[in-house]
Amino acid sequence: MKKLDRREFVKLASVAGAGTLMPDPLKVFADAVDQLFGKPRQGQIEYVPKPVANAKFGMVIDLGKCIGCRRCMYACKLENNVPDTISPPYIMVFETEAATGAIGHYSSPEMMGKGSTLFYTKLRKDKWYMPVQCNHCDDAPCVQVCPTGASYKDPDGLVIIDYDKCIGCRYCMTACPYGARRFNWWEPHVPKDRINPLVPLRRHGVVEKCTFCVHRTRRGKFTRCVEVCPNKARTFGNFNDPDSEVRKLVRNERNFRLKEVLNTGPRIWYLTKPKEKHMQWYKPLPPPTNIRGIRQ
Amino acid sequence: MNNIGALRNKSRSFYIFIGILLAFIALGQFNWFRYLTYGPGDSGSSDVVPWGIYISGLAYFIGLSAGATIVGLIHHGFERHDYEPIAIRSIILGLVCVIGATQCVLVDLGVPFRGLKVPLLLHNFTSLFLVSSTSYYGFMAVLGGELYFSIKVLRGNASPRDKKMAKWFGILAVPYALWIVHAFTGSIFGVVKAREMWNTPMLPVHFVISAIASGFALAIMVAVITSKVEKRELLSKETYNHMGKILCFFVLLTVFLDFFDYFILRYSAKVEAMETWHIITTRYIVTFTLNIGGLVIAFIMLLFKKWRTGNGLLVIGAIVQVAIISYRIDLVSIGQLAPLFPGMGEIYYIPTFSEITIILGIFALVILLYTILSIILPVEKTFEKPAYTVRKFGQGFQKGRSSFTEPEHTSETFQNGFHNKK
Repeated sequence: MKKLDRREFVKLASVAGAGTLMPDPLKVFADAVDQLFGKPRQGQIEYVPKPVANAKFGMVIDLGKCIGCRRCMYACKLENNVPDTISPPYIMVFETEAATGAIGHYSSPEMMGKGSTLFYTKLRKDKWYMPVQCNHCDDAPCVQVCPTGASYKDPDGLVIIDYDKCIGCRYCMTACPYGARRFNWWEPHVPKDRINPLVPLRRHGVVEKCTFCVHRTRRGKFTRCVEVCPNKARTFGNFNDPDSEVRKLVRNERNFRLKEVLNTGPRIWYLTKPKEKHMQWYKPLPPPTNIRGIRQ
Repeated sequence: MNNIGALRNKSRSFYIFIGILLAFIALGQFNWFRYLTYGPGDSGSSDVVPWGIYISGLAYFIGLSAGATIVGLIHHGFERHDYEPIAIRSIILGLVCVIGATQCVLVDLGVPFRGLKVPLLLHNFTSLFLVSSTSYYGFMAVLGGELYFSIKVLRGNASPRDKKMAKWFGILAVPYALWIVHAFTGSIFGVVKAREMWNTPMLPVHFVISAIASGFALAIMVAVITSKVEKRELLSKETYNHMGKILCFFVLLTVFLDFFDYFILRYSAKVEAMETWHIITTRYIVTFTLNIGGLVIAFIMLLFKKWRTGNGLLVIGAIVQVAIISYRIDLVSIGQLAPLFPGMGEIYYIPTFSEITIILGIFALVILLYTILSIILPVEKTFEKPAYTVRKFGQGFQKGRSSFTEPEHTSETFQNGFHNKK
């Protein structure tokens, strides 16, 4: 086989590079027909099971137990077929300063101060760690502003996106006070061996976010982030059940919700308990990289 | 000739101009097709800054269309007939600007063809995006109706009912445009409680006033440019003076609202507000200065009568356009740049080359549509040279002048014994 010299290689590479970026009118036409007349994709798998009757799901995160290991973030990414082009995935974990008050060293809603960062690489016992994701708000601004009704609130408390209705206007993303939504800027590619068949694959140009693992929770399982948390900082449950763990935690412990002043009614409660003394400290997984629009 | 044939026999520079516009449109179209093929990844927008210059473009274009309604109101409502030469031109201008705004929405969408199903097949009526984008269709219909009846009146084959319709379309377009179209477009941003800079009840008002300022300034610019291209005075000095005074008032109001918007943002000193203020005064100092400085300079210039002439207003109009474009960029971009949580890092938005070509393509499309429509449609009373000669008392025989006088008026004036001076 003839070896390529440098000039030829550069020429070929530039042609190939331009070729990959060239528009494909046939593909665009087929896609346009599909967008206009295509029916919703219905396979054998029910991607979004029917809402659970008389349930009101929610989550409690005990900040005294969270060590910021980012295991929830990566498990969520694998569970929900999140492509590498989406960064950070649905869960962001912040390292934050602590507030010191009358009862000592504790976490508080005001703790997201100047010392916060998303990009920590080492865990520190004097810091607090705070996972942030979609709060499945009761009065969700994203649902209110969605022009097509693609984002909707189900009676069991989950905010879901219908990927067959989303037009990718990104109004929901600007309206979300928690920065919880992600847009498919490129065609999402998930390696075949990584695909979870219970979760639909998305197309470019639509918005996605945490679903509280709708494919699991509506089939009687916990969310994946709850399962993988090494210190059991996360608790998921039905708030309509007076004996549920989440109800007890919220009833008996000091807690807050993120940006409550906005009256969005978030369904994630953060406990402000003092830090657990006997916790397993794991090495943190790497911070998110190549985030569009953010300079570290 | 007021038809498609009027596009023929134009000068070479006209065809070069059209060619340049088509080249811009083609480049924009090419890059948009790349977006449609691979996704809109080659843009400066991100998950943290979801809206970029397309939405700034939407806000700017929809604002410009206000000019049409204001000229229509002055012409029909206040019966200033000296505005007549730009009455139909400004309706066309409004129409093409609304088309430009819809194009900005279309290129911004991730799944644009599905977006065409809004609002008939896909809808959620609590969304202001739906309300405002649907109102653009209505606005196009209102402007289309106004255009249709105005042309009928102009051609002289209008019944009294048609004349009434033209008048009422012109007047009703104002509340529809200002309240439904512009105020609701401003409300798209105003209702977003997650963003400190946007979430203010002042925003719809601010949006409407700045829209009138930019739209009216553009209508003036179009009048002056048309005069220069056609080498004749479209409007009288008195009309320019009057337009300058109206523009002066709206520029003053825009500066006033701008000032208090930023003043209250800074004075409130909330965490997000301070973050926003920091971004305004550091990274976005250029657009901030162009916005406030441009409007203040335009206002001061407009106070002097010597600037309220054709050429002066052309310069002032250009300054106002730069100031309002800067405001639209600031409004959309800075509104999203303050991080939702401290610790997210420095958020930035830099439009890419493809994004800029697409928005320039939309600008070119708007200019092209206006140019063609203003040529093929009858835009003012005929000013063709009469084929016959007009005899005036005391002057012997004289060839008919190339004035704006209608032939039927000419015969009337001949009977009256003097030439109707307009």
